[in-house]
Amino acid sequence: MFDIIIRSAMQRKVRTILTISGIALGIFALVVMGAMSENFNQTFDKSMSLTSDKVRVFAESGMFGAGLTNDKVSDVKRVPGVKDAYGMLMMTFDDDQFGMSGKQVIGVAPEKSAKILYPVELKSGRFLEAGDTYQTVIGTSIAGEYDLQVGSKLELHEKNFTVVGELEYTGSFYDSTAAIPLDTAQDVYNVGDTLSVILTAPEDGTDVELLAKMIELNVKGTSTLSPTELQEEAGQSLLILSVITISSALLAAIIGGLSVMNTMLMSVTERTREFGVLKAMGAETKDILMITLGESALMGIVGGVFGIGAGGVAVYLLNSWLETKGIILFTITPRLLLVAMLFAIVIGMIAGLYPAYRATRMSPMEALRHG
Amino acid sequence: MDDVPILEVKNLSKTYFQGKIPVTAVHDVTFSISKGELVAIMGPSGSGKSTLLALIGCLETTDTGTIIINGIDVTDVPEKRLPRIRREELGFVFQHFNLLSTLTALGNVELAMRFSHVPKQQRLERAEMLLKNLGMGVRLHHRPTELSGGEQQRVSIARAMANSPAVILADEPTGEVDSATRDVIIETFKEMRSHGQTIIVVTHDPVVAEHCDRVIHIIDGTLKK
Repeated sequence: MFDIIIRSAMQRKVRTILTISGIALGIFALVVMGAMSENFNQTFDKSMSLTSDKVRVFAESGMFGAGLTNDKVSDVKRVPGVKDAYGMLMMTFDDDQFGMSGKQVIGVAPEKSAKILYPVELKSGRFLEAGDTYQTVIGTSIAGEYDLQVGSKLELHEKNFTVVGELEYTGSFYDSTAAIPLDTAQDVYNVGDTLSVILTAPEDGTDVELLAKMIELNVKGTSTLSPTELQEEAGQSLLILSVITISSALLAAIIGGLSVMNTMLMSVTERTREFGVLKAMGAETKDILMITLGESALMGIVGGVFGIGAGGVAVYLLNSWLETKGIILFTITPRLLLVAMLFAIVIGMIAGLYPAYRATRMSPMEALRHG
Repeated sequence: MDDVPILEVKNLSKTYFQGKIPVTAVHDVTFSISKGELVAIMGPSGSGKSTLLALIGCLETTDTGTIIINGIDVTDVPEKRLPRIRREELGFVFQHFNLLSTLTALGNVELAMRFSHVPKQQRLERAEMLLKNLGMGVRLHHRPTELSGGEQQRVSIARAMANSPAVILADEPTGEVDSATRDVIIETFKEMRSHGQTIIVVTHDPVVAEHCDRVIHIIDGTLKK
């Protein structure tokens, strides 16, 4: 039956090409938006895996609220079960940057920078050390965007810093981070002894969730985010983002599916007499279904292949361009490709169901009288 | 010709509704046809001859009466078995040929055997043989648009013969062809009859009827005695 399906589709070339283009556009959108969503997910998962053992301590009024100062680090350290605590100041990389979603500067105690950044390793150079002031350790994205190596100069908030180390690629937020000494950061950004967050490493065998509650009880004016809570909060935000990106892509793909349905309805109507002849020749319902559903599935498959191909090329080009700016925004995963292909086939077949049903329900005699 | 009836129609009736108005297309029709007979059904337009052919061809359901084809009461079999009866017991020749425009002459004839799950090589060989027998050997790979009306009808006849049916039903097979082609078609039918093929031809054409073994006249859905 495959030759009949192909011949039927090729008989109306322009219409078939337009319909396939509709599906391909939808799948293209699904691949590109899905790749963005996959990238967010992977970055989040990687970031979580690198910091999942630490409890985050904030000012009670929130991350950017007042009240979390250097002296709170000592208070946190005194809580039973706390192995170590590190104060950190987080600022935006560019002064005109809004929010903390892009590149960032973190101020950390230089002598503890290796521990704070653990398990991220160095690609070259060294971590910050005691006595460092205007030195910085940078992530791979920042190094790439500004073409920096160990020994290069980096201007942050109108001050020049010397790059002393470059972190290895992690796929996490560390790639877009410049770490500088905490005292220098507080001085340069003129925030006194304020901290953004205290990262708390628990002693081995400590219940991290319980420790988070203990810190809140023992250190006044603080709130905590345990790894589980952080995962839940960030996961929800990520889910909303995924739903928005994927839904818009799905909408595009569904519009593609509707174009297949329209084409197939026209095709079935035009071929009414042909179906009558096939039935007169003894074609079974399954034969008619195979011919009509096969044609719509074929358009889905071809549209899917073109959509995935075009999406892959677009993602490659966009990533190549964004890489020069130190950003990787899209990740194509096997899961995404599989979902896109299955979606193209399923949408093609679903779109073909009603036309196929109409074709099978035709009385052979009425079909033969048609046209 | 054999005296064994290959087709028996008993008290067959069919009524259509045009809106709410009932229209009797076939009323209490009874006749039988023996194996190897070439029978013409004649009657004026709207007399019910095409409906009668559709009922015999299992393309329409009957209201009352029975149709027995090759020993099978086709009015008493479940609807899902009808495609098999159409494949194995019946062959159709249409006035407008109804060939699939995307397939070649060979493809159109071979297609009829696909639904019977005949192996591909066997299908192609039989299709080629049937077309050659009908003088279409040089047109095997031509599409319907590249064939004359007479050639298309010969492909249509080959297609009807593909599954060696018990009965071939031809609805106005000479309606779209010139007189020379009509004569070729008549000769083809007579040749098929000589090999034991039963053929029922619905026709307006008295020349076609002249060559048939028997003519059944139908007027207002009823057989003329």
